Amino acid sequence: MKNNIKVQRAIFNLTQQDLAEKIGVSRQTINALEAGKYVPSTVLALKLSRLFSKSVNEIFDLEEGD
Amino acid sequence: MKTNYLFPHRFKWISGILFVISFIALIAYSSMINVEDLPLNVWVFAIVGDNDFFGPTDYFIMTKNPIMDELLVLSVIVSGIVLAFSKEKHEDEMVASIRLNSLAWATIANYSILLFCYLFIYGFPFLNVLMGAMFSQLVIFIILFRYKMYQFNTSRQDEE
Repeated sequence: MKNNIKVQRAIFNLTQQDLAEKIGVSRQTINALEAGKYVPSTVLALKLSRLFSKSVNEIFDLEEGD
Repeated sequence: MKTNYLFPHRFKWISGILFVISFIALIAYSSMINVEDLPLNVWVFAIVGDNDFFGPTDYFIMTKNPIMDELLVLSVIVSGIVLAFSKEKHEDEMVASIRLNSLAWATIANYSILLFCYLFIYGFPFLNVLMGAMFSQLVIFIILFRYKMYQFNTSRQDEE
């Protein structure tokens, strides 16, 4: 699964640490998310969606093979 | 991520220290040979037991037994479980996913080792395998999980 969290984060001018604190996870988790190494739960995806005021579909995208 | 089966983070260090000390003590104790000299030889209650190695098996009896090993096993298992299942400093869903992954791999690794030992170790030395099997899964899990958490915590900060 692809995501553009890094882009959204840049739009809101947040560091990984800021974003981590806002949605209640560790900085390393944001790092793993952006690197595509971790697929978040629905709860976390919805928190990101609310924070960025974008629908989940606009942040996450299915890849070939998913 | 709300989990209800994890111990508070503050138990981690104390249980870690207790686990290492009692685990080393248990190994040292197990390698003592002279059974007569074992300390704390007291009367204990046994649901199943025998008073003599070749005697009949009795139920609900009092028997004399050196209880140092019982105390050490109690300490190793309790502190091991608390150490293995206490919250991380920043507990979140990715930590939960790493924990689950480590637990699955630890179980597979543990049974692979057990199977190997079962097939290739015979006779009296097999008793050591049975003794080790009491703790192996817990120990493998703790090592694997700590290693993965170390990797996770030191993952490169990828900022621009």
